[in-house]
Amino acid sequence: MSKLLIDVGSTYFKVCEETNITQHFRDFKKDIYEDLLHKCGDVFSRYKKEDVFICSSANGGLSTLIIGLTNSFSLKFAKNIAFNSGINIIDTILYSKIEESKVPLELIDVVIVVGGIDGISGVFDEKLLTYLQKVQYSNIVYVGTVQDANYLSSHIKSLKVLGNIITGKLHVNELELKEYLTNLYQADIVGKEDIKHLYEFTSNQIYSTPYIVNRSLPLIDANFEVVNPFIVVDIGGATTDIHYSRDLVRDNILSDSEYDRLVFKKLGVYKSKETLVFAAKNNEFVYELLAYLNVTENILEEESEKALRVLMQLSIFLVLYKVSRLNPLYVTLHLELLKSIVLTGGITKVLSYAEVEAIITFFYKKVMNLHSLPTIVLDYDYAIWTLGMKNNEHKEPKCL
Amino acid sequence: MKKVVTGVVGNDIHVVANRLIDISLQARGFEVFNLGVNTSLEEFIDAVVETDADILLISSLNGEAEGWCRDLQFLRSEYDLKDVVFVIGGNLAVGEAKESDIIPKYKSYGFDLVFHQVDLNTGLDVLEKYMSELK
Repeated sequence: MSKLLIDVGSTYFKVCEETNITQHFRDFKKDIYEDLLHKCGDVFSRYKKEDVFICSSANGGLSTLIIGLTNSFSLKFAKNIAFNSGINIIDTILYSKIEESKVPLELIDVVIVVGGIDGISGVFDEKLLTYLQKVQYSNIVYVGTVQDANYLSSHIKSLKVLGNIITGKLHVNELELKEYLTNLYQADIVGKEDIKHLYEFTSNQIYSTPYIVNRSLPLIDANFEVVNPFIVVDIGGATTDIHYSRDLVRDNILSDSEYDRLVFKKLGVYKSKETLVFAAKNNEFVYELLAYLNVTENILEEESEKALRVLMQLSIFLVLYKVSRLNPLYVTLHLELLKSIVLTGGITKVLSYAEVEAIITFFYKKVMNLHSLPTIVLDYDYAIWTLGMKNNEHKEPKCL
Repeated sequence: MKKVVTGVVGNDIHVVANRLIDISLQARGFEVFNLGVNTSLEEFIDAVVETDADILLISSLNGEAEGWCRDLQFLRSEYDLKDVVFVIGGNLAVGEAKESDIIPKYKSYGFDLVFHQVDLNTGLDVLEKYMSELK
């Protein structure tokens, strides 16, 4: 019997059967289980529990505080691993400045402490302990020099010690921390009351959607008209994810993974609409961009289909802008090397190819000063997600 | 075993020289952390901190080091690196330049040893002598 694949997003459910994919707008008055049962109850009745595979990105996201010894190694490596594990919100502290660093007011899901290659000792001292006493956190993991592990374990309750992420050659060793953080992310999603109920539909593990998309990336150029290096932009209701080939970054990180992921927590077109509009209004190109689209800034306040389309075009522009060299706060991608842009998520159901092309043309001309565009591929039928789900079916779950 | 962080600073891709320095240092019994070519000054300092190195040996062959190394004093002050020996060598100026001008300039940036157009082995001999005198 064929499989039933379901993606629970913050705004839409996507339901994939053998021959068709349908999507349903969420009813926020109901919990996810009730809403899914109401909309797809008849579909579920046709499948056995072991043939149903679910992934979810709804309400997902962990907050992370990374305390590291240097920007170029500890913090860079840990940040990179965290993004690739599905962590959304990341704050960093340089250890040499810990005494003057602000203490986060909110509860941190996981604190990562990192610094030094194995063989050196005395990297961390009282300063770390004093700072941590002021921080509220749920989990804490140490991935620095092994020589400091005992000292820290004896002073920090429930400290999880994993292998050093910095190798003896100053390369990144991501496996253990990535698995740990992926598990936390999974547990966070699965542990949510809304998601727990979904196990009544499936006997398989529920995965996080970014994990599923990430699994499909090595297969994309073989399955689509996509040439490496490429980026996959997944614009959703609450967040926007960008998955990119590592060929587009020059950060001297040697990693086993060919693809990295970056999440823009506040660039969604539905739940995070207000922050998206705020980011747009503060962008130096936005008025020129709105004029180019033949609209005025009033459109940003409207509730219409046209407004939604403009908002989606803006989100494409902003996400490219944020990873361009004009915005060094985020990872800088060498977009001039980019061969293909793949757009997936709800956006492909709303925008036409011409609308996407118009905005990417504007970006490349205005921001990049280039006249040739990368190939644009629209993943109209969630084929990337389907590919990731199918590719994942036969894998033993590593997590939980 | 003394630890050395080395590499080529700035937009300089003289990889052969970098490799020769790596091999020569290892042959002399140093533990080498080679950051390779195209390395920024901040990465050098950060590598020294992460490895607790004794020596930072920066090489430059295209003469651009002057522009890349001016912040050394500032970056040194960010961490406690007073026991680290800072060395730079290679071709340290663009065009004609006198050694008597170059050496004081780089020393004012914070380098302990400066080798302008000096043979690699001669430079490393001086470095070893300098290190033994520090003991």
